[in-house]
Amino acid sequence: MLLYENKKAELINILKIGVNPFKKFVSTGEIKEDLGLVTSRKSIIKRIITIIKEEKNFILPIIGDVGIGKTHLFWALKNTLYYYNTIYISLDIVFKKFFYNTYSEFIDAIGVEPLRYIINHLCDEWGALEKIYGFFHVADIEKVKKIGFQKLESKFEENEKDALIDVINGIATHQLDPFKKIEAEGWLLGELMNIRELSRLKLRYDLRKGKAAYVMLKLLIENSKLGTVLFIDDFEKIISMINPKDEDAEEVFDPSWLYGQSQNPEEISSQKLLQKIIKLQSINGLRLIITLKFDQSLEEIKNRFQELSKDKIIKFIEPIYIENFIEDDIFDFYLSNMKHFLENIGLTKLAKEDFGYFPLNEQILRTIYSRSNGNPREIIKILIKIFNEIIFSNDDLNTILEEYES
Amino acid sequence: MNDINEIVLYDLVKDIIKEGDFVGSIITKCKDDQKSVIFSNKVSISKDNGLFFEKGLNIGFEILNHKSSAFSRRLRNFSINDLSTIEYCIKIPSDIMLLYDEGQFSDAFPFTINLLHTSGLYLNDYKFGINHLDFVHGEILKNPISLIHNGIILADRVVIDDHGDPVFYDCLIVGRDEKEELKVSYEPLTNVDDKVVEYIIILGIEELKI
Repeated sequence: MLLYENKKAELINILKIGVNPFKKFVSTGEIKEDLGLVTSRKSIIKRIITIIKEEKNFILPIIGDVGIGKTHLFWALKNTLYYYNTIYISLDIVFKKFFYNTYSEFIDAIGVEPLRYIINHLCDEWGALEKIYGFFHVADIEKVKKIGFQKLESKFEENEKDALIDVINGIATHQLDPFKKIEAEGWLLGELMNIRELSRLKLRYDLRKGKAAYVMLKLLIENSKLGTVLFIDDFEKIISMINPKDEDAEEVFDPSWLYGQSQNPEEISSQKLLQKIIKLQSINGLRLIITLKFDQSLEEIKNRFQELSKDKIIKFIEPIYIENFIEDDIFDFYLSNMKHFLENIGLTKLAKEDFGYFPLNEQILRTIYSRSNGNPREIIKILIKIFNEIIFSNDDLNTILEEYES
Repeated sequence: MNDINEIVLYDLVKDIIKEGDFVGSIITKCKDDQKSVIFSNKVSISKDNGLFFEKGLNIGFEILNHKSSAFSRRLRNFSINDLSTIEYCIKIPSDIMLLYDEGQFSDAFPFTINLLHTSGLYLNDYKFGINHLDFVHGEILKNPISLIHNGIILADRVVIDDHGDPVFYDCLIVGRDEKEELKVSYEPLTNVDDKVVEYIIILGIEELKI
């Protein structure tokens, strides 16, 4: 009995150091999250995985309110999909230089080794491993480039051929010219280069300009042994860019003075972005997941896609809806978060102890649930507040908890 | 080392001979004064006619003007009728060749020296010995081929270390074990004491032009 109580006291002491088990109430694509999904959402992830395994080249909308856990779902997916490159894309980041920034995110996610592996195999297909007398490599860079172009040109449109030549040059130079290998790798990783560096590599542009980043993305995705899932968060931003602003808002500069009444610059750039996404979606084997807040946004996005895609058919999968937590979820979430917190700070023994809902209790968790209407973000906000009080208040635990019990 | 008994095409010591046409990466070690080795991608073997190479590269040492000199010669439609002049002929397994091929691209050493013509770096011979190891100390030389007793090392590059010993990178090693069985392996790096080396030849890139 005494030992059991001491464990609780130990937990309180740890908290009093000033570490709150509930820190983040906004999930982002940059900071990794290991915490799994609550029980009621496990079926969602199963459905998504089934779709990813069975279908290709689709757009899967995931619809859920603000703070419902759409971004957290990305991390749960990434942690589950071992045989896929799962990449988070924020429209804010990739809005300008879409292909280049998406490529950068892609490389960031897969790392340099898979990049080397894929381009090594591409070069192999282009005859780079041709051997004389059964052993000696006699790769002729120009010949390899020529074969590479012949093999790939039919897969790209006429206006992408120049970019394709640059990409083949970059890949062949990286693989076969040891004197330029380091610079070529920099180019392949998307480094910005000056004219002198580019001319040494016999390249026209770096990946930022033109369609080279798209060509690279297509080559890497189509030749990767892993499937690729792009998770584009907060896709509604594209609608807010298209739709006119509040007419009552004061305009210091009216774009129509310069661009006419029909289309404002935001609309033009958002259309371009949609066209690029349509282009991206045509990459063989790519799976796109988009998140939205409202159901009606999906119809608008579908219509926009339909207008712009012309003869191409964009395959939209039936949307998946994420609902608020059910009441049992808050208990599940609380317990797994506390366990995860203790494990993360190295207290694995303590993490295995059964504290029940200590330092909170079942009643408080129920109250939090009803106050937040089951919205995960709101739940976390309240939990942060309570734990901050536990950490920083000089009142005893029961006094603090009393306030939240009703 | 991998057991490659199934791919030993000919072995004088174990009296193995597999008749037929073979395609792949094939090494033939001759039993002659020149200590020659033949690399080829196609060989026909028969008990009556010996070995026939459609194309091949023969390397070894010969005596010219009372001096030993490394050679490499292209072979076209070349036959060796007397099988007793061949010690062994083996085909390197494709999985080992795959490792070797991948290693070719893994180097990040741009300052590798390619020789235009084949030359002898080292020959362990009482009368006509050659030793240029000190001269290339610390340099990276491309396409070395070395004979070590009954073994052959075919490497992508060689560096002479601080002890004056050769270090081979990305190498195929063919040799016999204690039971005289032929074995082959791939090693990313192999240190060899120069005392056990029979010779090291650096293959000139002129010989590798198509």
